[in-house]
Amino acid sequence: MWRQTIQARFSKLWAYLFTGSMILFSLFPVYWVLTVSLKSKRDSLSNPPLWLFEPVTSSYTKIWNHDTFKDTFFNSIIITLIGIALSLAIALPTAYALVRLRLRGKNLVGIWLILAYMLPEFLFVLPMFSLYQWTGLYDTHLGLALMYQVHVLPLSIWLLSSFFREINPAIDEAARIEGCSNWQILTRIYIPCTLPGLVATAILNAIWIWNELAIALGLTFSNAQTVTLGVTSFRGYAALDWGAMTAASIIAIIPMLLFAAVAQKHIVKGLTLGAVKG
Amino acid sequence: MAKALQTLGSLSAFWFIFPCLLTLIFTSVYPVSFGIIVSLTNWNWGNQLDYVGFENYLNLLSDPEFWVVVGNTITFAISATAIEIALGFYLAVQVEKLRIPTELIRAMLMLPLMVSGIVVALMSKVMFDPFLGIINHLIRIFGIGPSAFYGAAKTAMSSIVAVDVWWQTAFVFVIMLAGLRGLPNDPIEAARVEGASEFTIFWKIRFPILRSLLLTVVIIRIIDTLKVFDIVFGTTGGGPGLATEVVQTFVYRTAYSYQQIGKAMATMILFSLLILSISIALQSLQRKVESS
Repeated sequence: MWRQTIQARFSKLWAYLFTGSMILFSLFPVYWVLTVSLKSKRDSLSNPPLWLFEPVTSSYTKIWNHDTFKDTFFNSIIITLIGIALSLAIALPTAYALVRLRLRGKNLVGIWLILAYMLPEFLFVLPMFSLYQWTGLYDTHLGLALMYQVHVLPLSIWLLSSFFREINPAIDEAARIEGCSNWQILTRIYIPCTLPGLVATAILNAIWIWNELAIALGLTFSNAQTVTLGVTSFRGYAALDWGAMTAASIIAIIPMLLFAAVAQKHIVKGLTLGAVKG
Repeated sequence: MAKALQTLGSLSAFWFIFPCLLTLIFTSVYPVSFGIIVSLTNWNWGNQLDYVGFENYLNLLSDPEFWVVVGNTITFAISATAIEIALGFYLAVQVEKLRIPTELIRAMLMLPLMVSGIVVALMSKVMFDPFLGIINHLIRIFGIGPSAFYGAAKTAMSSIVAVDVWWQTAFVFVIMLAGLRGLPNDPIEAARVEGASEFTIFWKIRFPILRSLLLTVVIIRIIDTLKVFDIVFGTTGGGPGLATEVVQTFVYRTAYSYQQIGKAMATMILFSLLILSISIALQSLQRKVESS
């Protein structure tokens, strides 16, 4: 008995220690990059690396004022908003139909969505590149948002379906007797009832769209470049401008941190549901 | 009359999924058929466009470079997934033991997931710098290194695997933690009363229930790591030499630097088939696990 207590104590202690070191492992790189972004050029290139230094914001003001980085940041905001709006507009009626309406070939749509979700980016990007150049969608906000919308569509439909399934189907019957059409049932009952779930879906989509690189790389050139491409432009192999590279990285991370702070629970729910569905 | 109403009903149901169908056609039927057709030509984005039959496929399959790239991709996918699954699941088990509110702990552990792949790549370049990077400085304390990390063919791939582990382990952790918390408590309590060790409880009671969920996470991670692009593109760009070239960076180079769009599409078609067969195989394995 005595031995068991010691063992249990040790196992608890180990759990705290291990979790603690994993937290350190997760946070340290972001902390370190933040410090590099706040170092003067001389401090950032010092050997050995400095733990204590006088913080300066020159890297931030430099990339925000002199480069096209600021434009890419706002491009990303516009593209993310269009992408979310489009994906919800398409996912909401689809999810409702898949959950509540009688429809032949429902399963087929489901399998098709999984396929679209699984296939590699460049299978889509290269054909789209030539279509977009031909139609004038190349290097436009709308063109990029259209492609993003498609990639977040499967997850959006799975998430919304699972929220819709929690609503009692008897409500549909009651509303139909009152003379409501399917469309009215969706917009007046289902959407208001699942608003938090809708927000969760939108946030997960925003994170995915904001962080995407391959599609943006293939389908934009200058006008519609996203923030991930803005960050990439500081990648330089020869010139060591760590200040610009790290400051750009931190700026790209900040909106996602805000999302994580306000919607952690939703993000966890979204990831978990997505995994169970996918 | 009733029949007419029913048709009208299903017609309106059809309109509900019509936008979704349109999108799916526009973004999967079109690209895939375009891809198959173009893969049978020698198109260079410009005027050169001749039908070459299966030449692109045959050239690829007999090209040693292609097999190196495929090998790299599979090596990366298997090692990154294995480490992430082991570490993420173990972390979930440990966090589940904690007797304090874990909301903030989970938020901190999830931070890497919020960061874009290309940002992860650039962050790692700063930290892995052979001369001024903090990692070499830190491992020197333990008497290891210095290492060239991305600079040397020997260490470049493991460095990228390490970066992916930092980035995506939290995904496994979050889902497995939710799985662990959803387990029924009664059988575990009963086993504890009967004097079963924690080790036995884990492997005999909890693990079998979670096996199917764990396999789902494995499938998602395998597919995701096979498709790796951002963190390779942002760090080594496939180098040194071919040491870290993976399928998607290879295709990007083939299509945009060498303008060999036919070859690029042939690679993508073969690669998509590989992903499909791997996920079908894993899913049938999962079905077997579920039924056993």
